[in-house]
Amino acid sequence: MFHWLEKNPFFFSVGVFVVIAFAGLVEILPNFAEASRPVVNLKPYTVLEMAGKNIYKNENCITCHSQLIRPFKSETDRYGQVSLSGEYVYDRPFLWGSRRIGPDLHRVGNYRTTDWHENHMMDPKSVVPQSIMPAYPYMFTKTADIDTAYAEALTVKKVFATPYDAPNGTKLGTLEEGRAAALEEAKAIAADMKNKDVKDAVARGEIPQMIALIAYLNRLK
Amino acid sequence: MQSNAALEYDYTVAKLFTYTTILFGILGMTVGVLIAAQLAFPELNYLLGEYGTFSRLRPIHTDTVIFGFMISGIWATYYYLSQRVLKVSMAESKFLMFIGKLHFWLYFVGALAAVISLLLGFSSSKEYAEFEWPIDIVIVLVWVLWGVSMFGLIGIRREKSLYISMWYFVATFLGVAMLYLFNNMAIPTYFASGGIGSIMNSVSVYSGTNDALVQWWYGHNAVAFVFTVPIIAMIYYFLPKESGQAIYSYKLSLLSFWGLMFVYLWAGSHHLIYSTVPDWMQTMGSIFSIILILPSWGSAINLLLTMKGEWNQLTENPIIKLLVLASTFYMLSTIEGPIQSIKSVNAIAHFTDWIPGHVHDGVLGWVGFMTFAGLLHMAPRMFKREIYSKKLIELQFWLQTTGIVLYFTSMWIAGITQGMMWRAVDEYGNLMYSFIDTVAALHPYWVIRTLAGVFFLVGVFIFAYNMIKTMTSSKELAQEPKNQSPMAA
Amino acid sequence: MNSLMVKALAFSATLMIATVVVVKYMNVDLSDPINYITILGAAAIAFLTFGVAAKYINQMKTDKSTGELANESWDGIGEYKNEMPAGWAYSFLGTIIWGVWYWFSGYPLNAFSQIGQYNEEVKAYNTKFEAAFANPDQATLTAMGESVFLVQCAPCHGETGDGISGKAHDLTNRMSKEQVLDVIAKGSNQLGYAMGAMPPMLAQGADAEAIAAYVAGGMQGAAPAAFATCTSCHGADGKGNNGAAPSIVGYDETLISNVLEHGKKGAIGAMPSFKTRLTPVQEKALATYIQTIKG
Ligand code: HEC
Ligand code: HEC
Ligand code: HEC
Ligand code: HEM
Ligand code: HEM
Ligand SMILES: [Ca+2]
Ligand SMILES: [Ca+2]
Ligand SMILES: [Cu+2]
Repeated sequence: MFHWLEKNPFFFSVGVFVVIAFAGLVEILPNFAEASRPVVNLKPYTVLEMAGKNIYKNENCITCHSQLIRPFKSETDRYGQVSLSGEYVYDRPFLWGSRRIGPDLHRVGNYRTTDWHENHMMDPKSVVPQSIMPAYPYMFTKTADIDTAYAEALTVKKVFATPYDAPNGTKLGTLEEGRAAALEEAKAIAADMKNKDVKDAVARGEIPQMIALIAYLNRLK
Repeated sequence: MQSNAALEYDYTVAKLFTYTTILFGILGMTVGVLIAAQLAFPELNYLLGEYGTFSRLRPIHTDTVIFGFMISGIWATYYYLSQRVLKVSMAESKFLMFIGKLHFWLYFVGALAAVISLLLGFSSSKEYAEFEWPIDIVIVLVWVLWGVSMFGLIGIRREKSLYISMWYFVATFLGVAMLYLFNNMAIPTYFASGGIGSIMNSVSVYSGTNDALVQWWYGHNAVAFVFTVPIIAMIYYFLPKESGQAIYSYKLSLLSFWGLMFVYLWAGSHHLIYSTVPDWMQTMGSIFSIILILPSWGSAINLLLTMKGEWNQLTENPIIKLLVLASTFYMLSTIEGPIQSIKSVNAIAHFTDWIPGHVHDGVLGWVGFMTFAGLLHMAPRMFKREIYSKKLIELQFWLQTTGIVLYFTSMWIAGITQGMMWRAVDEYGNLMYSFIDTVAALHPYWVIRTLAGVFFLVGVFIFAYNMIKTMTSSKELAQEPKNQSPMAA
Repeated sequence: MNSLMVKALAFSATLMIATVVVVKYMNVDLSDPINYITILGAAAIAFLTFGVAAKYINQMKTDKSTGELANESWDGIGEYKNEMPAGWAYSFLGTIIWGVWYWFSGYPLNAFSQIGQYNEEVKAYNTKFEAAFANPDQATLTAMGESVFLVQCAPCHGETGDGISGKAHDLTNRMSKEQVLDVIAKGSNQLGYAMGAMPPMLAQGADAEAIAAYVAGGMQGAAPAAFATCTSCHGADGKGNNGAAPSIVGYDETLISNVLEHGKKGAIGAMPSFKTRLTPVQEKALATYIQTIKG
């Protein structure tokens, strides 16, 4: 039979495809419905948080940071409660990472604060002298892409029925409303910060990347 | 067409891909050395402003070596050997020649655009699938062109029965096509929102745990169908061809092939051990990973046995050295991976340096050596000149072997140490080490790894020099060598 | 044994010894199952790979290629009709049988659950440590406190607790003048003391300055007259009237546990709450330790 297949490339290809394809089905399909259920009280990202998440995604913070607390006492002592599937329902893409050059960040919002991130992102060595994390000073001056974040929120609302504008959920509204809400949220964060560029920008109605990123990091709880 | 057309294979496309293999190899591995150095000496993050941080460069390293160096290497060897084992020249079909060239140029433009897009900070943060949707579309087109090219050539072949290498190339084509398409399913937000924001941004159609499952079904099998399957295609051709030995056992080839095809796809969840993926699925990944040792070792053993009685060739021909060591490193990575898939071992190994250690056993020792050996074998036949220098190959071989050994031993120790430090508790039951302690402890190993990278990279430069000299200025050959490649001392 | 095999095994052994020496140097407990299974796994990788590869490579020296050639040939490449190596074939069969057994019988019978395993780990931990440190003495508490501090608090307060030049509260000292001025100006209502809130603007201008200097200086010498405003709540000695209000001269257990419970936002920045992240013994240990590091 194999000799025959080797002489008939079409059936050979079909054979290979069948053998490799169905394992995929077994591996992927059974969990789809199950893992799409959010834990109670989980809210979709606000526009500002979404903008921060996009910075995290585009900068590839996952090259150093995981967001997955495994069920070991050593990990729950260090980072907090074990991660649950339902907590990731609004994460597209998932950001678990596969490498921990730096610590896990899945619950970093529980034990770090705005002003700490401000110091740390500007110069990690200023708070952790032995740190090897790069500094990201340019995020204090570059403006966050709020419109794209809004577009993403609107997309997941329309296409995946992510519960925006639902009772007790996250409000999205129109693009104008989305921008305004992001600015309000940004003001609250800027109030806890010291960087002058950032404060001035927010006073002018602009939102620096760092504010969006901190909004996202603070939400990780 | 002359009757001896089969002897006049057309290597135009193979040559083009040979150049990009060298180009992207140098580029990708130079970045590899840089990111290795950045962990040991973080000041190196600031050489290029926002474009030079570890987080921007790491995907550029992985994607340049995978989609640049490796895919080019696969196609360079494919366009060379497929004609020969199918006994048909590309020159026999104008259409296939055209498709082949189009395949190359679209690929080259796409690859450059891909690297630039990452540098500019567009990334979808799915490992080895970081490219945003416009680049994905180019990649799919390039892949389709390869399919047309390959099945076209198979269609007009003279050799009825497919040689083992062709089995593996066909599998590469099918596997990557399926995986890449499904994992990159995403919706561009600009269009879905009616024209708001950036045109590059997209959102994955899978979320959370499901996205993780699809990603590692892809990620694991991308390793299979880029770093394993086509490399086996190469070794099954180049080892017997260079040595003049017949393949040890057809049965072993056959069982290894179908075994690998069947088992590989089930093992992806070993990347998700102790995650929020259901327990049974993780266990499935572990079980299949263990079973996977044997079809993997089957190919390696088959090739080592092919060299039975040929000790002389091993000591005298540096290309054979590269090939034999490639098989050995293949054995190393395909037992290391399965052992790292065991739950208790993964509890330590996951997230640590031991994983990049495992990775580079495979990519440097197996993929790298095989690719260098393949191109060296091809060079005298494509350029009709003898290899410029045997000494340089020897030098490259020893430098790179030292590099690989330093790489994997340092990462092995670093990873196991860090994994255990994360878990350690002191006499009071508190965590013994703060996170930064576990980072600081790795400094010496990161220095060694950087050094290892320098060794390997210098070898790559020597290889490139040797190849360029071979193409341009070494002694011309009157006729094609049969087996052992001719090389000047 | 041939020389190649000896070299291969020697290399593997060296790698394993180096690994064990390094982890032992880091005080890792190798009797932890996850740790010793990992070491065994690593040994299996090294010895099997290098041993088996050496065996086959040695055959290049000692053996000859034999067998019946198939009549096909691709670009001159021939193929023998040899049988598979028996060791390989039986191992493959063995892993398949094991896989089927494990998948359909071994694993279900085990009823493994990773959360169940986690719960067991926590239980084992509690039996081991919580009982042992139910009533720790002063020295133990200080050492234990330091150990928690270095992991949980040092990223903000620095390894010495000095607040990393103003990035967080300097724990070697009670309070700086700016911090006291800030509280006087804004009042404080976050720490959860029995008395509740401290109102803003109890003192102004030069009075506030004088008070702040006195408090920040550790309440040495004569108190400024205006400090009387404060004594009603914080006591003349500044110790907080037995926990009614915070002590403003030093750290005590109530203050630390209140800060850990509620977090704190002040002139410097914000500190998160550690509610549920620390056990009562750990909190007590931290309080003890922090009292020992004052400047
Ligand atoms: C080269 C690796 C590297 C990169 C890239 C990196 N980090 Fe880090 N990160 C670290 C290390 C190491 C630490 C621990 C030392 C420290 O706190 O600086 C850390 C710590 C952190 C912490 C503190 C977590 C804690 O528990 O103390 C946060 C938050 C953080 N990083 C966020 C980010 C973000 C956001 C990005 C991307 C924009 C990023 N990091 C990129 C290596 C990295
Ligand atoms: C009405 C009672 C009252 C008076 C009067 C009072 N305090 Fe307080 N003080 C408190 C209480 C209660 C708290 C804790 C508030 C909280 O929970 O945040 C406090 C907190 C403080 C703190 C912050 C301690 C910390 O650890 O953050 C300082 C400093 C302080 N008081 C100084 C003063 C000074 C100086 C004066 C006099 C000008 C003064 N207080 C007058 C009740 C008082
Ligand atoms: C994310 C940073 C952060 C972490 C982690 C942190 N702290 Fe703080 N802590 C602060 C900051 C900032 C302040 C000063 C707030 C202010 O007064 O502006 C502070 C203040 C304090 C104070 C003084 C409170 C007072 O009322 O005077 C104590 C005591 C303290 N921290 C103890 C701890 C202990 C113990 C831990 C570890 C279990 C810890 N901190 C972890 C940031 C942190
Ligand atoms: C029998 C074959 C193999 C098995 C079972 C296997 C198993 C594994 C495991 C368990 C991991 C670590 C997952 C984690 O904990 O993060 C891993 C990672 C990896 N392996 Fe293998 N491996 C095998 C062969 C190979 C080969 C031959 C190569 C390359 C030539 C390779 C390349 C990689 C890569 C690139 C990763 C990193 C994935 C990531 O980014 O996290 N593997 N493998
Ligand atoms: C000079 C040679 C090389 C050096 C110095 C080098 C260095 C590095 C470094 C430092 C990393 C990051 C590891 C970490 O997270 O700590 C890395 C990752 C990686 N490299 Fe290389 N590399 C080299 C060659 C290659 C080659 C030739 C390939 C493939 C053909 C390759 C494929 C990868 C992959 C797939 C990863 C990701 C691993 C993971 O995510 O776990 N590398 N490399
Ligand atoms: Ca990875
Ligand atoms: Ca993509
Ligand atoms: Cu894998």
